Amino acid sequence: MSTYRLLVDNLRHYWRTNLAVVLGVVAATAVIGGALVVGDSVRDSLRQMSLDRLGDVEYALTGGRFFREELAGEFDFSEGHFKAEVTVAPAITLTGSAAHERDDLRQRASGVATYGIDERFWSMMQTTEALPTEDKVFLNRRLADELGATVGDEISLIVEIPAAIPRDSLLGDRNETDTELVLTVTGIAEDATTPGRFGLNPAQQLPMNAFISLDTLQEAIEVDHRPATPRNPTEKPARVNALFVDVFGYGNSQPPELQDLNRELAKDVQLEDLALRLVTNEKHGYISLESEQMMLDNAVVLAARQAAGEVHASPLSVLTMRDKQMVKTRLPPLDVQRSPVLVYLLNELWNPHDDKRFSMYSVAAGIDFAEEQPFGPFEYVNGGPPQGSSSDAHIPVVINNWIAEDLGVGVGDTFNTKYQEVGDRGELPEHQQSFKVVGVIKLNGPAADPGFSPEVEGITDAETFDDWRQPFPMELDRVTSRDEEFWDEHRTTPKVFLRLDDAQRLWQSRYGDLTSYRIAPTDVTPLPELAADFERRFLALITGAMIRLEADPAIGRRMLRATEVDAQAPPSGLVFQSVREQGLNAASGTTDFTGLFIGFSFFLILAAMLLIGLLFRLGIERRVSELGLLSAVGLSPKQVRRLFLVEGAILTLVGGLLGCLAAVCYAALMIYGLKTWWFGAIGTKFLFLSVHTGSLIGGFIIAAVVAMLAVWWALRQTRGISTRELLAGTSEPSLDAAQKHQRGRRAGVMAGIAGGMAVCLLAATFAGLIPQTEAFSGFNWRVVTFFLVGVAALAGSLASLAWWLDADRAAAVRGQGVMGMIRLGLRNAARHRGRSVLTASLIASATFVIVAVAAGRRNPAVEQPVNASGNGGFTLVAETSTPILYDLNTSQGRAQAGMDLSGESEEQQIDAMRVMPFRVKPGENASCLNLYQTQLPTILGVPEDVIQTMSDEGRFKFADTPSDDPWELLTAKLDDNRIPVLGDMNTLLYSLHKGIGDLVHVPPGDNPGGTLQIEGMFDGSVFQGVLLMSEANFFKLFPDQTGFQYFLIETSPDQSSELSTILETQLADYGFDAERVSDRLASFLAVQNTYLSTFQTLGGLGLLLGTLGLATVMLRNVLERRGELALLRAVGFRAAHVAWLVLCENAFVMLWGLAAGALAALLAMTPHLMSTGADVPWGGLQAMLLCVFAVGMLAALFAVREAVRTPILTTLRSE
Amino acid sequence: MSDASADLRVTDLTKQFAGAAGTLDVLTGVDLTMRRGDAVVITGPSGSGKSTLLYIIGVLDEPTSGEINVDGLLPLSLSAAEQARFRNESVGFVFQDHHLLPQCTVLENVLIPTLANAKPSSGIEDRARTLLDRVGLKDRISHRPGQLSGGERQRVGICRALINEPLLLLADEPTGNLDQHTAESIGTLLLDVASEQNTMLLCVTHSHELAARFSRRYELTDGKLVEQET
Repeated sequence: MSTYRLLVDNLRHYWRTNLAVVLGVVAATAVIGGALVVGDSVRDSLRQMSLDRLGDVEYALTGGRFFREELAGEFDFSEGHFKAEVTVAPAITLTGSAAHERDDLRQRASGVATYGIDERFWSMMQTTEALPTEDKVFLNRRLADELGATVGDEISLIVEIPAAIPRDSLLGDRNETDTELVLTVTGIAEDATTPGRFGLNPAQQLPMNAFISLDTLQEAIEVDHRPATPRNPTEKPARVNALFVDVFGYGNSQPPELQDLNRELAKDVQLEDLALRLVTNEKHGYISLESEQMMLDNAVVLAARQAAGEVHASPLSVLTMRDKQMVKTRLPPLDVQRSPVLVYLLNELWNPHDDKRFSMYSVAAGIDFAEEQPFGPFEYVNGGPPQGSSSDAHIPVVINNWIAEDLGVGVGDTFNTKYQEVGDRGELPEHQQSFKVVGVIKLNGPAADPGFSPEVEGITDAETFDDWRQPFPMELDRVTSRDEEFWDEHRTTPKVFLRLDDAQRLWQSRYGDLTSYRIAPTDVTPLPELAADFERRFLALITGAMIRLEADPAIGRRMLRATEVDAQAPPSGLVFQSVREQGLNAASGTTDFTGLFIGFSFFLILAAMLLIGLLFRLGIERRVSELGLLSAVGLSPKQVRRLFLVEGAILTLVGGLLGCLAAVCYAALMIYGLKTWWFGAIGTKFLFLSVHTGSLIGGFIIAAVVAMLAVWWALRQTRGISTRELLAGTSEPSLDAAQKHQRGRRAGVMAGIAGGMAVCLLAATFAGLIPQTEAFSGFNWRVVTFFLVGVAALAGSLASLAWWLDADRAAAVRGQGVMGMIRLGLRNAARHRGRSVLTASLIASATFVIVAVAAGRRNPAVEQPVNASGNGGFTLVAETSTPILYDLNTSQGRAQAGMDLSGESEEQQIDAMRVMPFRVKPGENASCLNLYQTQLPTILGVPEDVIQTMSDEGRFKFADTPSDDPWELLTAKLDDNRIPVLGDMNTLLYSLHKGIGDLVHVPPGDNPGGTLQIEGMFDGSVFQGVLLMSEANFFKLFPDQTGFQYFLIETSPDQSSELSTILETQLADYGFDAERVSDRLASFLAVQNTYLSTFQTLGGLGLLLGTLGLATVMLRNVLERRGELALLRAVGFRAAHVAWLVLCENAFVMLWGLAAGALAALLAMTPHLMSTGADVPWGGLQAMLLCVFAVGMLAALFAVREAVRTPILTTLRSE
Repeated sequence: MSDASADLRVTDLTKQFAGAAGTLDVLTGVDLTMRRGDAVVITGPSGSGKSTLLYIIGVLDEPTSGEINVDGLLPLSLSAAEQARFRNESVGFVFQDHHLLPQCTVLENVLIPTLANAKPSSGIEDRARTLLDRVGLKDRISHRPGQLSGGERQRVGICRALINEPLLLLADEPTGNLDQHTAESIGTLLLDVASEQNTMLLCVTHSHELAARFSRRYELTDGKLVEQET
């Protein structure tokens, strides 16, 4: 005989019990390993989706700025150590809207990603479909379905025409903002193909894509190649706003990486790629740096000042290659005259003492009066340049003698001016300003120079005022012949000069504070030479490029470099991003599905563990005399325990191995569930099963440890039993009254501790001592605390049960009939205290899951608009594809936006609505609908008046935000120029993993342009997925963003549908898309509710295991007491009595478990129950609990049947 | 009663049980000595403490006070592990409910105590076969307990008790579950093999027929052993 032999015999003989234990281990391994496999599968699926989404695109340059298409062809990696095929595809990416009409039904789609592409881009899409040409469009399936379009149909695509000058600046074009392309659908890309899901932002939801010919789109939005003509002497190259790169390396060669691409890009960037030009003014002897956008932005001005030697922030060096050695020499600063200028158009100048003396449409220039040749000095007729300080009431100016004559003013006189600005909502408020004349100059020399003003197509090149193509109304009837004469002779020559800082105070905007930067040589250097030198220096500074200088045979190769400028993060902003790497990084996911599914399966795992323990324990109980015998024949307790542990280990090993297989099946089922029943949690059907051996091993190890703990726990229960008792078949330690009392007291103390802990935690929470910050995995401390309170309450109630069962009163049997049977049933429950408590624990766990899940549901669709809630009192939320510049709250603004209401009813509805507009900087979708890890979500800029309204009216509910007026936090001044932002709690905690006080960098990475500080959190709001900042701060970070693209609309819920239709129809060109706030909240909550459903389903499986455990326990109880039950029947108890006895015992344990689980779950869910929109289905909950009870009682019927059919005589004899 | 040369000396053994109704004195000062080859039977009414005394001597239970000396060893003062070793090497138990492992064969059941041996002893299986041959179960060694009669099961139990050549064979109602004929044969067998193995046999029983076959007989009355005349 050997231990091995005994083990084999044991395993074989007790195969039924062992099989049950093995099945328990299989269940635990399947659940734990399955959760790990689900995590791997989601991660790998997201990675694969990232790869499929991008096709062959490795790097991309996007950002809205238009640059020369030829830039794509200037990359050269043929030299050096690179041996790779690099395809650079120029493209235009725009967001627009689309419409399709069939059978009088017009279907629209907004937010359409429109790509203007050529064959180079198409080759990266891994498709065999033909490239769309001319008037053809290739749609993806989602867009085609949205439009109801099929191949051969004609659709309209509306896209914004890029504005050379920002639309919300005075000279910006606000009339022709978009264009409509009528195109024929030539093909539809299915969801599984790259064109079907192409997009740069990481998101698993399918975009709506339209691909058209690059040439067609360029022509439509007027960025195509324009040859020079007599009227427009400057040739314009074709432009694009995106480059996509595919890199393919050969063999072991090193393909170019991101930094190589950016270095190459920097070298190729020219001024016109930055919408800049250097204008040579031969007549006056200077060159002028100007922008097509009219204003020079701050980064350009800084680089220009550095290049001109005005500031020395970034030293310029010349690198010379000499004898294979690189020698660096500092480049001396340019020795030039410098003249920064800000010009502005004054609508009218007039003499306040004589309103017949006026002049229309004159230019004023802010300059530095101390300038020398060629920018000065002016020839004064009277007076001199402004001296001393100035006030806004009388800004000192110098005027030329032409306007002095027209206005009849001289030195010491004042005159008035009117000029327009563009307001926040596209309105054109006219400002009045008084100027005091301190000098009158002759209209000659430096003062007679139309070059002060940058060229503006349609204005500076107009022959007469009548020919101006200006975006604001002109009073042409007030233009005098003198005005026409001046325009004819001097064009944009300024009539008024003021100090630059005065001009900047009046007219600077978020786009900049200079209109040109002029430089002139101090020696005889020819202007072209100076221009070339300046341009080289400027480009080195703005792009970080190594500029190649002319090769000098005597010296060698020479390069110009701005030492401190990094080509990977240049001021120009023209930089490639590694979109593939970013996509793969983002695929690590915001949501850890391994953790999520382990969490979902927590009670299932617990139930499996308890079941393993229970079954193993029952196996031991059956063999308790064997334990006694082994001990009696001399095996030490350690040897006996080891024997059973080895047996448990073998069962665990077998169960674990089978469980690995089951884990794959379980994970496959979960993946199937995520693609079907729980689609709302994922939002994509492109999930696949990905099994990593490591995860299966991990699941096996965790489950094995858990199972062995359960086995150890079961064996531990026999520790206090003497050998003699074991031999006599006693499976629980026999305790005398004192020991029982002590055990009961211990249970009582445990109940007290757990209850006390629950009370203390509750008190701490209500006293505000528990922070609202993230604890782990997106759960905040308050939620965790309440969960702990729930768990403590659960533990406390079960300890109370143990204490009560040990108390003498629990066992008092008296009375007759049913009551007597009930009391006997309770006594029976107390007989095996451990068994009863364990069973109650199983039931309580399952109940906990069901109640917690039911209590966690929300239904915002039924919520009415309430100011202090997640809907903020708003009924509709709308977004547009292209920005709306105007105020939709005024009839004038609506008219400017193109709305033309037909009936009184429409007008009434529109008049009754109230719109809160927000500016938008598009970013990643950081709502819970996106599984990818996001870094920078979409940012909304909140205008000052909207902040005020929100604040005054107490809009939205905030969570843990330390302010009585959270909206005002947006306007707070923070240290280190940090920008205060507000965000939705779900977005911050679960997607960005941030809390109050945390920082978000814009853009993400090592070179942020701004730092956002989270100051407050909305509670379950419609702002999920975005961050909010004040408009003022928004302009600082994103000066190029114009207009409004996000709107909250207050209206009666009854009229919301009709209003939504009116707005979508009237504002169709903007791609206006409105939906009910409650629907949007419901779509966010769909994810949460789906998670709850998943949790509920897996909890249900836990319940199934729990009831199996209960049935096992009851059956065992009955089998153990067969003699006792036979005796009861022998002395006259009817079968029904015996059935009652068993059912009462069962019902008592179940009811205790149900009550403990339900109350603990309600406590754990208190934060949610107290939050907005908690929608607990109490009726359904009661039904479910009743169902649990019924299932439990049904399970007990097996035991009842066994009890009733026990033969009386045989049983009594055998006993 | 004290005999310094005795192989088993039980001195002033007491045992009390604490209950809800107060303390119950089961053994109030038991003295007993035995030598190798002795066969002692203890009788007494139910609940008199016979089995308790047997299990205390076999260190499966603890006395309230008193001393036990087995061949110079004081097993009550040993650690749990040492007591287990003592039981394995020096004591053999025969139970009323034979406690055979249903999953093991007859031979395996006999060999169960050898699992606890520190070193594998050669020829142990031969000894088991010899013992089984001696009790007339030579042809049943590969049978399972479920295939044996009550008397056969008890014979297996006796072989199991003797497999490690114990100094002390403790039998607790060995014929309690058997019919008269089988009980007689088991009683004979027990006395014969104990004599053959030169081991001390201490048996507690209700059976006067069995008791009558022992040379030394005691009755446990009021917690004390009273020697009966033969």
